[in-house]
Amino acid sequence: MTDPYQVLGVSPSATDEEIKTAYHNLAKKYHPDNYAGSPIADLASEKMKEINEAYDAVQAQRKNRGSGQQAGGYGGAYGGTYGYGGAQNSSFGDVRSYIMSGRISDAEQILDGVPGENRNAEWYFLKGTVLYKRGWLDEATNHFNRAVQMDPQNMEYRTAMNQIMNQRSGMYGGYNPNMTTGGGFTGCGACGDLMAADMCCECMGGNLCPCIGFR
Amino acid sequence: MFGYIRPFKPELLVREWESYRGIYCGLCKNLGRYYGWLSRLTLSYDCTFYTMILMSLRKEKPCYGAGHCVVNPLKKCSFCQNAEESFHQAAALSVLMTCFKLEDDLRDRGKGKIRARLLLPLSRRAQKRAKADFPWMDKIVTETMTAQNQVETEGQKMDACASPTAQMLGKILQHEGGESSSPLSRTLYEFGYFLGRWVYIMDAADDLEKDLESGSFNCLIRESGLTQKAGKEEFDSIRQKANASLNLTLSRLLAAFSLMDWTSFQSILQNIIEKGLPATQKELLFRKEEKE
Repeated sequence: MTDPYQVLGVSPSATDEEIKTAYHNLAKKYHPDNYAGSPIADLASEKMKEINEAYDAVQAQRKNRGSGQQAGGYGGAYGGTYGYGGAQNSSFGDVRSYIMSGRISDAEQILDGVPGENRNAEWYFLKGTVLYKRGWLDEATNHFNRAVQMDPQNMEYRTAMNQIMNQRSGMYGGYNPNMTTGGGFTGCGACGDLMAADMCCECMGGNLCPCIGFR
Repeated sequence: MFGYIRPFKPELLVREWESYRGIYCGLCKNLGRYYGWLSRLTLSYDCTFYTMILMSLRKEKPCYGAGHCVVNPLKKCSFCQNAEESFHQAAALSVLMTCFKLEDDLRDRGKGKIRARLLLPLSRRAQKRAKADFPWMDKIVTETMTAQNQVETEGQKMDACASPTAQMLGKILQHEGGESSSPLSRTLYEFGYFLGRWVYIMDAADDLEKDLESGSFNCLIRESGLTQKAGKEEFDSIRQKANASLNLTLSRLLAAFSLMDWTSFQSILQNIIEKGLPATQKELLFRKEEKE
């Protein structure tokens, strides 16, 4: 097994606090939210697993040495099924399973074969998902938007739409002209926005950042 | 390419900046060495970035030597002396891309046409040599740039227009990742795709006024139906929209970038992606008018 300290990017002599910070930074970087709907989401979740294991290993080592304090983290909270899970009563079960297994062009072929009058909110959501994976981000935005308009109560569609709007606003990097700080992405602003967005989201029963809960 | 991929200098350390300059000057020297003195004119920030990506993937550490700038012999410069193969490859990309850009200018209307007519015959020899040195690269560039012309003639929407350029960078970077299903290769494709997409949209947004005046193709003009009579508000709304697309693109780019293990230039590459690209967005989309 690789050295857990190396995985976390800290030296073995680092303090517990330093290790915790390093771990939190990495966990934020590879957080499933950053990779939702992306074709490399599986790689990010592997990385997340590696980091969690390394952190657990370091914790265990230090505990044995008697020096460690109980420092909680994200643990195994992340199960790897974010966002685009299977919905009940789906009329596009086959498309969903193609998307889940990464067979994007097969999924798209079926979707494109659906005649106009049968294109419901779910169709727009799934087509948006396919477009997002392929990198056709503007069309993806339009499709998610249409899905939300057609079925405003659906949390799955709203989560996807929120995510893409946050990405457009510069929360995940880029430049936000309405931010006073200037110079592009600042951790503070993004974090504040994220907390605000999370609170809004939670009012409606969802959770934008399910894993940022410290034990 | 177009020179949009540059570092955000105020936040670079002095040694990082010097290291960056060393690669930039090294690329200039190698362009001259492999493709003739004229090809030095194709030197760009974008291909400097490509050189650093290659060196980092190949775990090459730069060694710097002192020399004099060729363009300005009075100026001293330190340039990177090793990693010839990486420089050679980046120089070839620089030459191939510039030739396609010139051919594109020849088709468009505007001032670029005269320049293209003058420069294109002179660059043919370098182009031929670059094609022979890296046939795989030539194949990718030719295929995707042909597709690029196709979508632009058809007047497709932005996603379709940005796709060939995005695919080009995706495939060129993926080439370094070995087998196409390997994690490295998949990540590199994702990284290159969104970098190419970002550059394409940035270029379209930057050229808004120029293309409107000359009547050249621009997907943002086509999509919004912008005319010469348009007021400031219409321009602003297009820029806002383009900025949102760029942010969204950058979020995917950053996600792919974070998954890579960069051995050399980690902090400079990070500076370029996290700070340099947003700074370019700010500068070209929101600060240009103030300057004028």
